[in-house]
Amino acid sequence: MTYVMKKDGENLTKTEQLTDSMFYIMAALTEPRHGYAIMNLIEETSEGVIKIGPASMYTIIKKLLKQEWIYLYDGSDSRRKTYLLTGKGKEVLEQDLKIRNKMIDLAMKGLKESGK
Amino acid sequence: MSRMKYIMSGGLAFSENKDMEKLRKYSLKGWHVREFKFMGYLLEKDESKDYIYNIDYRLLEENEKEEYFNVFTTSGWFHVASEGDVHLFRAKPGTRPIYTDNDTTIEKYENSSNLLNKSSLPLILLTIVAWIGSALSTAALHTTLEVIAIVLTIIAVPAAFTLLAAYRNKWKVEGKRGLVTLTRLVPYLFILAGVIALLSIFGSNLTVKIITSALIGGVGLPLAIWLITSVYYKVKA
Repeated sequence: MTYVMKKDGENLTKTEQLTDSMFYIMAALTEPRHGYAIMNLIEETSEGVIKIGPASMYTIIKKLLKQEWIYLYDGSDSRRKTYLLTGKGKEVLEQDLKIRNKMIDLAMKGLKESGK
Repeated sequence: MSRMKYIMSGGLAFSENKDMEKLRKYSLKGWHVREFKFMGYLLEKDESKDYIYNIDYRLLEENEKEEYFNVFTTSGWFHVASEGDVHLFRAKPGTRPIYTDNDTTIEKYENSSNLLNKSSLPLILLTIVAWIGSALSTAALHTTLEVIAIVLTIIAVPAAFTLLAAYRNKWKVEGKRGLVTLTRLVPYLFILAGVIALLSIFGSNLTVKIITSALIGGVGLPLAIWLITSVYYKVKA
């Protein structure tokens, strides 16, 4: 059971997945971080392969806030507001991770067997 | 030589990418955008630089601005100018794009078409109502409503075209090719409808009048479309 966000924060529908960008950003928000820190972390972790553009970043932050999957953790610096996953957000991320893990398992097993 | 220069926009809903390319070429010649000006951009002369340009559409609350622009600045996109919900940025070539995935790119054009929807849909509906009203009424009321309907049409047609262009941008990203092709056909259908309307109004014996009207339609209408499109961007500010 996974969730996806519909535009304008409509109800979540089951059996659909988070977009990759949303998954990465939510993964980075298991700790309080601001926009630029999120972008950096994703880029460093992926060794420069995955880059999130500022407009995509801002759009997704706004959507996640609307869904209440993240919340404003510290807004005292208006240029660098930090965000953190909510309980609901953690749940959504965990569910999505399960599916992603299954697909990774499939690829790994398949590659191992074809290598025999 | 003046250090300021004005250039016209092709209308962002119609030619966003062309506009951005044009701005890059001007920057290479040392003319950089300083601000949005009515129906175009105001450029200022400075050193030649290779800048790439990008537009974002977003309605921002006062308390959101600092954070929004800071995310761009820190990723290499310098904020050049804003007009209402239209924000212009520039960066060095090779800077990561401002939109990096399809889902959020679709939302970019959703933002632009939603904002246009609010202003042009009531106008288009009102025009239709005025035409129906004039068709159903007689004498003085008929003439009055007809005049109102014609005036409204002149404003509503460009509005409809702009809206259509905004939707086309969105459908392009969504990969809805059928709909994109359909939007390309609409202007031709429109011209065809216009020709038929003119023929029925003036009758076949007044060929000269038809040709005159066609010329007015051919030159006047695109001009009005372009003018009013630009006014929309201005009004939204």
